[in-house]
Amino acid sequence: MTKKMTSKFILQDIYKRFGDKSVLEGVDLNVFTGESLVIIGGSGTGKSVLLKCLLGLIPVDRGSIEMDEREITQETLLQHEERLQDIGVMFQGSALFDSLKVWENVAFRLINAQHMDRKRAKEIALEKLAAVGLTEKVGELSPAEISGGMQRRVALARAIATQPHVLFFDEPTSGLDPIFSSVINELIRNCVKELGATAITITHDMSSARRIGDRIAMLYGGKIIWCGKAEDIDNCDNPYVQQFIHGQAKGPIQLETDARHVA
Amino acid sequence: MVWALSSIGRVFIEFLASTGRLTLFLATCFVQGLQPPYYFRQMLRQFWEIGYLSLPVVGLTAFFTGMVLALQSYTGFSRFNAEGAIASVVALSMTRELGPVLAGLMISGRIGGAMAAEIGTMRVTEQLDALITLSTNPQKYLIAPRLLAGVTMLPLLVLVADVIGIFGGYIVSVYRLDFNPAIYTKQTFDFIQMGDVTSGLIKAAFFGFIITSMGCYHGFNSKGGAQGVGRATTYAVVSSSILILVANYFLTALLF
Repeated sequence: MTKKMTSKFILQDIYKRFGDKSVLEGVDLNVFTGESLVIIGGSGTGKSVLLKCLLGLIPVDRGSIEMDEREITQETLLQHEERLQDIGVMFQGSALFDSLKVWENVAFRLINAQHMDRKRAKEIALEKLAAVGLTEKVGELSPAEISGGMQRRVALARAIATQPHVLFFDEPTSGLDPIFSSVINELIRNCVKELGATAITITHDMSSARRIGDRIAMLYGGKIIWCGKAEDIDNCDNPYVQQFIHGQAKGPIQLETDARHVA
Repeated sequence: MVWALSSIGRVFIEFLASTGRLTLFLATCFVQGLQPPYYFRQMLRQFWEIGYLSLPVVGLTAFFTGMVLALQSYTGFSRFNAEGAIASVVALSMTRELGPVLAGLMISGRIGGAMAAEIGTMRVTEQLDALITLSTNPQKYLIAPRLLAGVTMLPLLVLVADVIGIFGGYIVSVYRLDFNPAIYTKQTFDFIQMGDVTSGLIKAAFFGFIITSMGCYHGFNSKGGAQGVGRATTYAVVSSSILILVANYFLTALLF
């Protein structure tokens, strides 16, 4: 009961399939308020699908998702929009809007959803850009004019612009070199700490998972097969987890030979 | 026999399902578009893109079409000593038929394809998901301003096309076929009526709706990466072009 009181998200028996492809087959997970949970798993195990189910971007086929003790799988469009106002998301490919300048991307929610004055919104956007190590000059460029690493920082600045209490990070370091990955990991860690937010990160990068997460959960075969403290993962006796974190080709995890799983 | 009937049935059911999906999509956009907040910057951007930036292509098409129309009419009418009807034929053809249809087809290629590609790219790069997570409804923010711009800008473009097309006919008739400029101008305005122009403008508004709705719908529902975006672009241009030609017949029958 005490755990439920402090839970931000409670997922029970979540199922999701696309046509004949079963992706999630009974996911149970508890995310506590204020913690940073990292969900790891191989490519195509349904990590991003799970994240989109939590965001309400994809409906679940079966099961229950509670956020702040409120069922969200049956929410109305208005309830969904209200819930998202306190959530920041950093997408895998940054998902910045090409037609807008960098600062307009960061200030997007402030201007379009909170109807803030553009001048004030720009000031806040530039502050957030500075917080992720980007200058005012970068703010005037378009997303296509900056590097992939910088785009990730802009995406992070956009996610934290309204100081949300829940943050989602979808593969925040994929495609980045180790130094940039380290920078992004530190920024995420600092932002989450400063905001006191609940963070859920999807990744298959183990160094990123160890850096960002208080707890780590592993998704395999459509289920959470292990969940525990980040420092315990090296000592866990789950052979699937051990194979994954050590990146071994041989072990119980078989490479996909059919299209049962999707990303 | 059964196989043939079931195939026809499947195609028919898929057609009905697609029509239903499109109707629901447009109804949602319409309802969302009516509710505040209104994205005026987006609207202005679309007015600029669809209206102002399409002027050269529409103008050139209308100008050369007017010139060809005058030449072709002269070739045929001179056999019956009816050269005097060229001015009215050019004016009526441009305002009632060629202005809206040719402008519609050109805009379909220029704007319908671009819309499908832009929105489709946003879909496959998760920008539409990002919009939702930023508390912004994509149908309200992206689609409604485009539909509004299509319906309002196409009639204005067609009005410009009518003027330029008639002017093209005038240039050829006066400078190549040696018509008297004053008589040609008088004949143009003597036979043209307000209804000829307005029927063309009504058609243009429908065509604008067809172009933008096809571009937005196919882009919004694209999937499968770059190939999916390419497919959405093709569907948008082909379906809007065909629908323009079909709608043109029914609108002509209705407005004639």
